[in-house]
Amino acid sequence: MTFQGLAFDPVRLPEAAERLRGEVRAFVAEHMPANYLPNSDFNEGHSPEFTRALGQRGWIGMTWPAQYGGAERSFFERYVVTEELLAAGAPVSAHWIADRQSGPLLLRYGSEAQRARFLPGIARGETFFSIGMSEPDSGSDLASVSTRAEAVQGGWVVNGTKVWTTDAHRNHYMVTLVRTQPPGDNRHAGLSQLVVDLQGEGVTVRPIRNIAGGEDFNEVVFEDCFVAEEDVIGTPGNGWEQVTSELSYERSGPERFLSAFRLFVEFVRAAGPDPDRATAALIGRLASHVMTLRKMSVSVAGMLQEGKSPAVEAALVKQLGNDFEKLVPELLRLAPPAVAAGLAASALRRSFEQTLLHSPSFTIRGGTREILRGVIARGLGLR
Amino acid sequence: MDRLLADTAERMFRDRCDKPLLDAAERGAFPESLWSVFSEAGLHLVGSDGSGTDLADLFGLLQVAGRHAVPLALPETLLANRLLGDAGAGLATIATDGVAPWGRRADIVVRAETGAVVTGFGHAPAANLAGEPRDRIVGGSERAARVEVAGLEELLALSRVALMSGALSRVLELAIGYATERRQFGRPLSKFQAIQHNLAVLAGETAAAQRAADGAIGALHSDRFLDQVAAAKSRVGEAAGVAAEIAHQVHGAMGFTHEHTLHHFTRRLWAWRDEHGAESVWQARLGARIAGGGADALWEFITSADR
Repeated sequence: MTFQGLAFDPVRLPEAAERLRGEVRAFVAEHMPANYLPNSDFNEGHSPEFTRALGQRGWIGMTWPAQYGGAERSFFERYVVTEELLAAGAPVSAHWIADRQSGPLLLRYGSEAQRARFLPGIARGETFFSIGMSEPDSGSDLASVSTRAEAVQGGWVVNGTKVWTTDAHRNHYMVTLVRTQPPGDNRHAGLSQLVVDLQGEGVTVRPIRNIAGGEDFNEVVFEDCFVAEEDVIGTPGNGWEQVTSELSYERSGPERFLSAFRLFVEFVRAAGPDPDRATAALIGRLASHVMTLRKMSVSVAGMLQEGKSPAVEAALVKQLGNDFEKLVPELLRLAPPAVAAGLAASALRRSFEQTLLHSPSFTIRGGTREILRGVIARGLGLR
Repeated sequence: MDRLLADTAERMFRDRCDKPLLDAAERGAFPESLWSVFSEAGLHLVGSDGSGTDLADLFGLLQVAGRHAVPLALPETLLANRLLGDAGAGLATIATDGVAPWGRRADIVVRAETGAVVTGFGHAPAANLAGEPRDRIVGGSERAARVEVAGLEELLALSRVALMSGALSRVLELAIGYATERRQFGRPLSKFQAIQHNLAVLAGETAAAQRAADGAIGALHSDRFLDQVAAAKSRVGEAAGVAAEIAHQVHGAMGFTHEHTLHHFTRRLWAWRDEHGAESVWQARLGARIAGGGADALWEFITSADR
């Protein structure tokens, strides 16, 4: 593949999508949990109540067909809802993965029975999914997973361990990447995706404490866990194609550059209406990044709306967005209002600590910086 | 931008703006034959009333010009012609703080601050760090009528955004091309992961610059034009520094020679990011407007800018 230039055609969100903006803001104002510190990180903030209310409003599974509980809205409308929720710092982690990834995966590759069984519950905000990809010995090298499923009468028996599984202790299901054939010449062959009931027999979920003190992610151990034949997603052996097909959705969304947004908001508050020039310049610098990243991310949404698979563009958005998210606490900590009065203010201080402590994960989750650079390099025709 | 116009300009600049021409211009020789071809094709009127083109075309043309380091005062000439409405009167340029690109060759100067139109002037030659003439205008006589220059500062800043975005796309191509051809340790540089990762970062900065530039050009008639220009000049200026650094690193000592063509683009990037307000100038303007609106309006400030 030779380099063909980069395609980020300007896209303006359509009227219908813009009209949703005010509705989402009113919804958040009404349903934000009491005494909740707003956090723009999509992984933080698990509220089944908030998620259920959002589902009742029709804002989960928005783009899906009505027969599965969807609202048949455009990607642009979904874009506005998701970015408004993140910018407000609403608790979205309960439904985020199911809405973004597991649902679309089932819609594309799942059986009719699976769609009918899982999608309406997801759209109602009642069924939550985790992603079971990484393992103790398989991180970026995803094709090396060794959790195996052996064919038995009526289904599969699964043995192995998944790690870094966000919210496995409180979600209902996990889309689990397993080996159904031993690795051969083609290491991408022989992988399959199963829907595993996280409350089922043979599944043990243990929390893993992170450096921020949270216990959102887990180790999930399978010991002779039986998974019925009908819970295989798509074709056995086609797992690699299936897991990689959703990456454009996973990597280009607003959650890839807004994780530190609430910290930015609190900083602007601490700076006051008439900051000195250096502080104003810092605010302007951060804003210039958010404004540009959002334009790029909306451009990718436009490509998705047209049915394209802009994998390289999505990787570019994630690379730039994650680096920006990490830059925010690094720049703000040295700024005058933070040093003087601001950081003592509790909202700014807590937001700063939350963001900084979570910042290492920004360039690891959903594809590390190094993996993304490899994807981009391939798009540039270098590999 | 009109496709035919873009293709015409691309072909003209690609065929004519070769290294000898760029080097000659840097020694102070105005590229007369390029200017003749350019103006005979009517391109000097792009963006002017009655030309069938608009301001967005003007800035689109500048993006193409940036890709080829066109050694004319295109932003100033095109914007001055638009303001003057009488391009037949000679080669026009714009002086900011008394300094005008290619002032030595110009017949007419518009003063950016006042709209004064000056002819019959002298000049003190000077250049920016890319060797582009930036001459101080001396003396001359002012016409009775001035031109309207409201908003010209933003348009001049946007002109550097457009030029930089074009130059960045060229720098990325040069770096990819060099990394693919140059072999060390028995294989092309492009096969080394460290090089691949640097080029991925360069591609990201180039893509961001392109999108920021397109966004600001698309906002020419929006009431948020100022904010879009401020964000773009800041973001693209940042990209220019990162991109030039990586492109030179990838090119090694070859790219540090005057003989190589890379510096025609990287030195321009370094010059253009400082002209008409470095990043910090526009960041402070943008930040002051955001702070004035308050923290709870920050997100609306950002989203409404693209509405």
